[in-house]
Amino acid sequence: MRETKPVSGWAWVLIAFVVGYALVLLIIPFGTLLYGALGEGIAPVIDTFANPFVQHALLVTFVLSGIATLINAVFGLITAWVLVRHRFRGRQFFDALVDIPFVFATPIAGYATIILFGRGGWFSPTIIPIVFAYPAIALVKIFVSLPFVTREVQPVLSTLSSEGEEAAYTLGASRWTTFRRILFPQIWTALQYGIVLTFARMVGEFGAVSVVGGSLEGYTETATTFIFRAIKDRDNAGGYSVSLLLCIIAVVILVIMTALRDRVRSKEA
Amino acid sequence: MSIELEHVHKSYGSQPVVRDVNLHIESGELFVLLGASGSGKSTLLRLIAGLLLPDSGRVVLNKRDVTLLPPQVRGTGFVFQNYSLFGHMTIEKNIDFGLSIRRVSRNIRKQRTKELLDLIGLPGYESRLPAQLSGGQQQRVALARALAYEPNVLLLDEPFGALDVKIRVQLRQSLREIQQRLGVTTILVTHDQEEAFDIADRIGVIEQGQLVEVGTPSDLYQRPQHHFTATFLGTTANLLAAQRNDQSVHLGDVNLPIPPHTEHLTGSAVHLMCRPEEVKLFASRSAADGQVIGSGKVESVNFTGAMLRTVINLQAPVQTPLQALISPANARGLGLAVGQELWIGLGEYHLLPVSENS
Repeated sequence: MRETKPVSGWAWVLIAFVVGYALVLLIIPFGTLLYGALGEGIAPVIDTFANPFVQHALLVTFVLSGIATLINAVFGLITAWVLVRHRFRGRQFFDALVDIPFVFATPIAGYATIILFGRGGWFSPTIIPIVFAYPAIALVKIFVSLPFVTREVQPVLSTLSSEGEEAAYTLGASRWTTFRRILFPQIWTALQYGIVLTFARMVGEFGAVSVVGGSLEGYTETATTFIFRAIKDRDNAGGYSVSLLLCIIAVVILVIMTALRDRVRSKEA
Repeated sequence: MSIELEHVHKSYGSQPVVRDVNLHIESGELFVLLGASGSGKSTLLRLIAGLLLPDSGRVVLNKRDVTLLPPQVRGTGFVFQNYSLFGHMTIEKNIDFGLSIRRVSRNIRKQRTKELLDLIGLPGYESRLPAQLSGGQQQRVALARALAYEPNVLLLDEPFGALDVKIRVQLRQSLREIQQRLGVTTILVTHDQEEAFDIADRIGVIEQGQLVEVGTPSDLYQRPQHHFTATFLGTTANLLAAQRNDQSVHLGDVNLPIPPHTEHLTGSAVHLMCRPEEVKLFASRSAADGQVIGSGKVESVNFTGAMLRTVINLQAPVQTPLQALISPANARGLGLAVGQELWIGLGEYHLLPVSENS
């Protein structure tokens, strides 16, 4: 695209508006967090992260998000494959269905999980508890971020012609070798992008997690539900500190995503 | 490394795309499958490579029945129209892919890649990526990749279809050279008859899934057995209703000598086929040579570059327009012009059965 120097006054007004809008919506809240967390010095921040409940909440958040991300990466990849490579009755309907987590209010997903897996539900467990325990948290995390990997991989996969694979077959490569050496390297960047998005979405999930987990301190409490409790309890230092940590992680993820996107683009060029 | 097809049949749904094809290709031969798009020629090639399985019939490569074997074990090298190089791999990795699958040692692979790059005229290109190469160069690499593990047969599906005319001519010459040097049995699929004539040992004409006729380029052009071949090859063929008996061909009340290889048509109604370049025009009956069949009036003269495409209406013995290709020198000698009355002689001609209607 050609870059033009803004000349008219209106262009400056437009730029000022966009930058101002972004400042108000993005930068100022971040600054507020920074100020809130560090306003009374570093000590309350250290105290917050020394709190075993906070540590546990962070651990629960990242471990469960990590496991759920792995699961979504595998199934998202398979879903993308099926949607691109197979023609079956109801494929378009199923394709549309994949986006449901995007449009559902997440507490509804949590509520549905309780109805299904809670006491007296259709899938009420007999051995280990699901609802108000780790499995339910992982389940809803899987649900809310289900589309990301599929939606990132799907378009890349559909641009790859089957001739590349056929060439590999005639050269003697098995289906698995062809996937590993021909297909996978070509979708890897898109897959990474989808994985990072998925993880970010899971770490930040609040509604469904709070419904199915019950936010039991030291057990099912996650980073986001801890922040919510800290606000209620007027534990400003705690709320601000954990929020700030999540923000920093988000920024790191953003940087990774930008780098990945550049790689995808340079490959396309 | 011969290729044999026996009664090969393939349908997509209820639509037959390859119908009862029988074909024997000799070891070391360069065979061209020539047909319009949608004639089933690419499908036939894919059936040989194992990328498709036939509904019935047998595919035999080098006396081994491979009909039901997957492509991985057939030992064919396949070149696609759109190169289909592995975009994320260097040229070297692309070329030695087949060897690395076969766990050939790194040294031998390097050596072989270097040889092949020399062979295709791209020495030193090992570390480039496919996207850094032109279309013609990419197709050379695709050829090297297909040849790297020394396949039994080489299959090329419209390999020059995506290239400029000049590159296309260069590349098919070097393909012919490489093919002859290696002696690899090759089938090339194309819709371009100039390409087919240029490089083929033999051509198979395919139409609506059927292998209509197989022969050397000159046989198919000059002595086709089928109407389809006669009209499909070359720009056009003049066809005149005639009768053949023991001694001569009767074209109305004109008797012509019997052309060779037409004994089987004795005593039947035939079509006399004559290519436009074999139709000769003369200012007067006494000046005419060849087999003079009558006179006619010039209807049109079109400039086509090296030759003038002329249509002349033959008045007797049969009334029909004839196409003739006239050299500029010849045209100047005649003072060729529309409306002119000229005598018509035939050079080489051939006979086709009438009953054959495809």
